[in-house]
Amino acid sequence: MLRIERVSRRYGDLLALDDVSLEARPGEIVGLLGANGAGKSTVLRTAAGLQPPDAGRVLVGETDLWKDPVAAKRDLGYAAEEPEFYEELSVDEYLAFVSAVRGVDPGAARARAADLGVRLGLGERSREPVRRLSHGMRKKTSLLAAVLHRPAVLLCDEALEGLDAGAALAAKQELRALADQGAAVLFSSHVTETIERLCDRVVILHRGRVARTLERREWGAPEPGLSPLEREFLALASAAPAEGAA
Amino acid sequence: MNASTLVERERRESDAFRLLERTLVRRRVAGVDARLRVELAALAALILGFLFWQVRIPLDSLERRTGVATVAEVEFAGLAALAIGGGGIAFARHTVRLRRGPGGPAWLALPVTPRALGRHLAWGSRATAWLALVPAAAWVLAGVQLVPAWWLVLLFAIFVWMLLEAARLGCWLAVRDAVRRAEPRSGLDDLSPVLVAARRVRTSAPLPAAHWRRQPAWRALLVKDLVVTRRPSPARQRAIAPIALLVSSAVAWALPIAPALAHALAFALGLLTAATLAEWIIAVAGTDPFPVLRGLPLGVASVWGARLLWAVLGSASLLVVQALCARALHPMALQVLLVWLGAASLAIGALGANYAVTLYPRVEHAQRMLALSLGLAIAASLMIPLVGWVLVFTALLHSARRLPGWSRQEAF
Repeated sequence: MLRIERVSRRYGDLLALDDVSLEARPGEIVGLLGANGAGKSTVLRTAAGLQPPDAGRVLVGETDLWKDPVAAKRDLGYAAEEPEFYEELSVDEYLAFVSAVRGVDPGAARARAADLGVRLGLGERSREPVRRLSHGMRKKTSLLAAVLHRPAVLLCDEALEGLDAGAALAAKQELRALADQGAAVLFSSHVTETIERLCDRVVILHRGRVARTLERREWGAPEPGLSPLEREFLALASAAPAEGAA
Repeated sequence: MNASTLVERERRESDAFRLLERTLVRRRVAGVDARLRVELAALAALILGFLFWQVRIPLDSLERRTGVATVAEVEFAGLAALAIGGGGIAFARHTVRLRRGPGGPAWLALPVTPRALGRHLAWGSRATAWLALVPAAAWVLAGVQLVPAWWLVLLFAIFVWMLLEAARLGCWLAVRDAVRRAEPRSGLDDLSPVLVAARRVRTSAPLPAAHWRRQPAWRALLVKDLVVTRRPSPARQRAIAPIALLVSSAVAWALPIAPALAHALAFALGLLTAATLAEWIIAVAGTDPFPVLRGLPLGVASVWGARLLWAVLGSASLLVVQALCARALHPMALQVLLVWLGAASLAIGALGANYAVTLYPRVEHAQRMLALSLGLAIAASLMIPLVGWVLVFTALLHSARRLPGWSRQEAF
């Protein structure tokens, strides 16, 4: 469970977040929708522990993120919009480092990294230095590092932007699988189609404030599943995974 | 396209590049902050002073033995060598830029003539040749009052001309070399295949397989620091100095000099080893990407502990090397040396670790704070013996008090 309570944040004269409250319950994918500059990334960076709020608090489970950051971050995963890495390390070395710091069982982490790496299309690049990866590959690496330890709370900042169709689909399947296992997922995007198909609930931000919250039944169709274009793509790529996944 | 249109086009192009170059120079000068300008000026003055004394004495004795004309000849030969050296620097710089990509916009996508582009790229590389000005100034100043002043002015003017020509030649040779290496393409000018090849992604053998190990966070950081330092990175560049100085501090004992001088030299080199180790600690901590480090369940104890451990390991290596190389010393003197060197190097290394953590992710600020603290300590010790150590320990305590604030620091 992730609870953001009355969080405000100012950058100089700009009030980026104004008394924002929202929550993501276990098993739920919450979409964060808003125009550029609405405050989506600020919400996620504050919830990930990258910048303290000026007011309010962030709870991961029952732990206050800014009072006990180490304990809270054990249950957190964060995929950044513009991910940064140790550019000198290979993808595998980076993932091994992240999983060691998180205290994940090395064997399980390695197997999960290999499996997810293949599904995301990273498999053949796993021993290359991160600095050689394209933007899309870097986003995949960031997402992989964020979900490797099966976090209780996952924060995705435009995580599907820049991914090819196959990897985007695999990523959506992974997010849904994590939610089905009880994770709370907060997912930001400015692409409504992605949010419509993936999320159970949507919080719309406007100028740093929560403008509206909508449940899936309120926006109705389309149902979770493959879009017509995704079906076409998969038919062409002859690699269609089981339908029904998000 | 008729001749007048071509001439007009070339004129517009060269005006545009001239404007760009003027703007770049202004921006680059403005980009160097005031403190760094003072530091660079001080560094240039130090180099100039050092070279001046290295050259002045031999020139003086030469003037007494053989007269003014020989001194002028030596001055000219030295300046010519420096100009050739400057041309060599421009050649090396241009070669690297043409191989790795010259920077700037996607030049091949712009409607500029290869001639104008080649000239502009060479202008960027030629700037490095001006580094030869500092030793040249020292060389000329060393001849003051040994040869007539107007000779020196003339020699310096000739040097500037030779430097410009040597730099031009260096860049031309670099282009010819790059053209020779590039795959020729019919219908294309010489420069385009070079720029195409520079943009191509180079492939190399994959990195070794990762080690998936269960280990505490501080050890994962320690191992990661080591891996990052072994790969091409700013941390690797910073690692060269402490290793070289550590070796030098050992070599000092084997030099054919008085034992007291060897003792002092080894101690001084040991302190420099510690200072450069502290710089490396800051550099390696600076390679930690902010969102990665802050997104992970890491406390300040793990981050600081890993960096402090490097300071401890560095100090221990220094002590082992000194203990092995200074065996000729009286046991009591050796003990005193080891205790002083151990305490000092640990304090300096720990100061580096503190600044690396408390000023993270502002690596440059941390490096400057370290330089300032150590510089003040040296100045204080020169005025009143041992007061410098009081300053170092005060800085250590002050920075340690700021450690708990680590978890609330932000990237700028």
